[in-house]
Amino acid sequence: MRPTLLRQALAAPSRRTFTSATSTLPAFRSQLQRHSVQRLQRAAFQTTAQRAILPPLPQRIEGSVNDPVKVHEPEPAHGSYHWSAERALSAALIPLTIAPFAAGSLNPLMDGLLIGAILIHSHMGFQSVIVDYLPKQRVTKTRKLFDYGSVLAIFVVGWGWYEFETNDVGLTEGIKRIWTAKPKSLV
Amino acid sequence: MALRLATRRLAPLTLRRGMATTIESGKDSIPAASPITTPNRSPVSESKTSTIEDPQAGTDAKIKKFQVYRWNPDEPTSKPKMQTYTLDLNKTGPMMLDALIRIKNEVDPTLTFRRSCREGICGSCAMNIDGINTLACLCRIPTDTSKESRIYPLPHTYVVKDLVPDLTHFYKQYKSIKPYLQRDTPPPDGRENRQSKADRAKLDGLYECILCACCSTSCPSYWWNSEEYLGPAVLLQSYRWIADSRDEKTEQRKDALNNSMALYRCHTILNCSRTCPKGLNPALAIAEIKKSMAFT
Repeated sequence: MRPTLLRQALAAPSRRTFTSATSTLPAFRSQLQRHSVQRLQRAAFQTTAQRAILPPLPQRIEGSVNDPVKVHEPEPAHGSYHWSAERALSAALIPLTIAPFAAGSLNPLMDGLLIGAILIHSHMGFQSVIVDYLPKQRVTKTRKLFDYGSVLAIFVVGWGWYEFETNDVGLTEGIKRIWTAKPKSLV
Repeated sequence: MALRLATRRLAPLTLRRGMATTIESGKDSIPAASPITTPNRSPVSESKTSTIEDPQAGTDAKIKKFQVYRWNPDEPTSKPKMQTYTLDLNKTGPMMLDALIRIKNEVDPTLTFRRSCREGICGSCAMNIDGINTLACLCRIPTDTSKESRIYPLPHTYVVKDLVPDLTHFYKQYKSIKPYLQRDTPPPDGRENRQSKADRAKLDGLYECILCACCSTSCPSYWWNSEEYLGPAVLLQSYRWIADSRDEKTEQRKDALNNSMALYRCHTILNCSRTCPKGLNPALAIAEIKKSMAFT
């Protein structure tokens, strides 16, 4: 709702009256109402909304101030191996992308390999985003949902690619058809 | 948006905002202090606060405005605010720290900031000046008097008062990398752990780090994951010991970093190298650690 409209609506007097001789409740109620009106008016007046997705929590210091923070057990599968695999895959994608066009051959095996590499590459990228922005301690359930979601996405997208490869023209041929520059006829 | 509303409504009151709590292991945990105000408050803008003028401005004064972040823990319910001070640059030293000291001495003694050596050796006066994390003692006051200078505490830190950030967690992380020489064998000559000139040269650009926390607090990855990601300053220090030829616990040091959070949250954003007031390159040190751990 537009702030001006909201303000006008709130400024309009209420039809209901709360006057009663027997109970104090209406007095409280009207006060409550006035309070909420004020707050709404202020909210309507503000032009910028606070949009902190994960607002900072109060400071917590685990252990005494002289204790070091906890050191994790080594997990190379999530550490150095993962990082190496990420780089190796990124490097492998370059020849895989160029090869089908350079060779001019449309091999379904190469197509499948490229698609598989793209799938895992993008999965790793999304996983990195999830790890960065959804801290485990903070949003445990959301994190779990996204973790499973990203794995599910591999299969859904993989199935989509499979359909595209088997029932349609396939990745490289698809790109070839889309990415065409019609030569301008010279005048 | 929805997530924010959910956390705000569903979080128990004690989680929303309070002063720092120390969780002692073994002892009964101290409950969080009663909620005081909502978190994530942006400061009251300088247009809504008063301006404190230089009391001793000369006749041909070069008046410059300084807008300083103020927050007083003695009034925890009041919002932080931007306070404007004007100073005559002719009567102020060349550096930002001189301006702050002059404000504190002559204008407003309640202004609080850390400072010690005034020459970029101690790292106490790290703060965010005109949008850049730097040491106030190494930052010249821009002589353009038409533009105001804005001074904030280091970003994404818990503020103790005014420009003083709480670096407890940063120091705890520093302690976790064991920043000292670790050896099991005595030195061969029984006197000193000797090192070749070439090995010593590897430590140049690492040992100069003064742990001012400018780089760590400029790193977006550290903003989001400071609980587990060590941050550029601590990783540079870790590399300082990994690269040391005299240290015998190199593999253990690397193992301590070998998980998804401690080291690999670095996405080579390079804010650290850009902001370092000592001109060091923490991103290079992190890259060297990654390189030494890759494909092994």
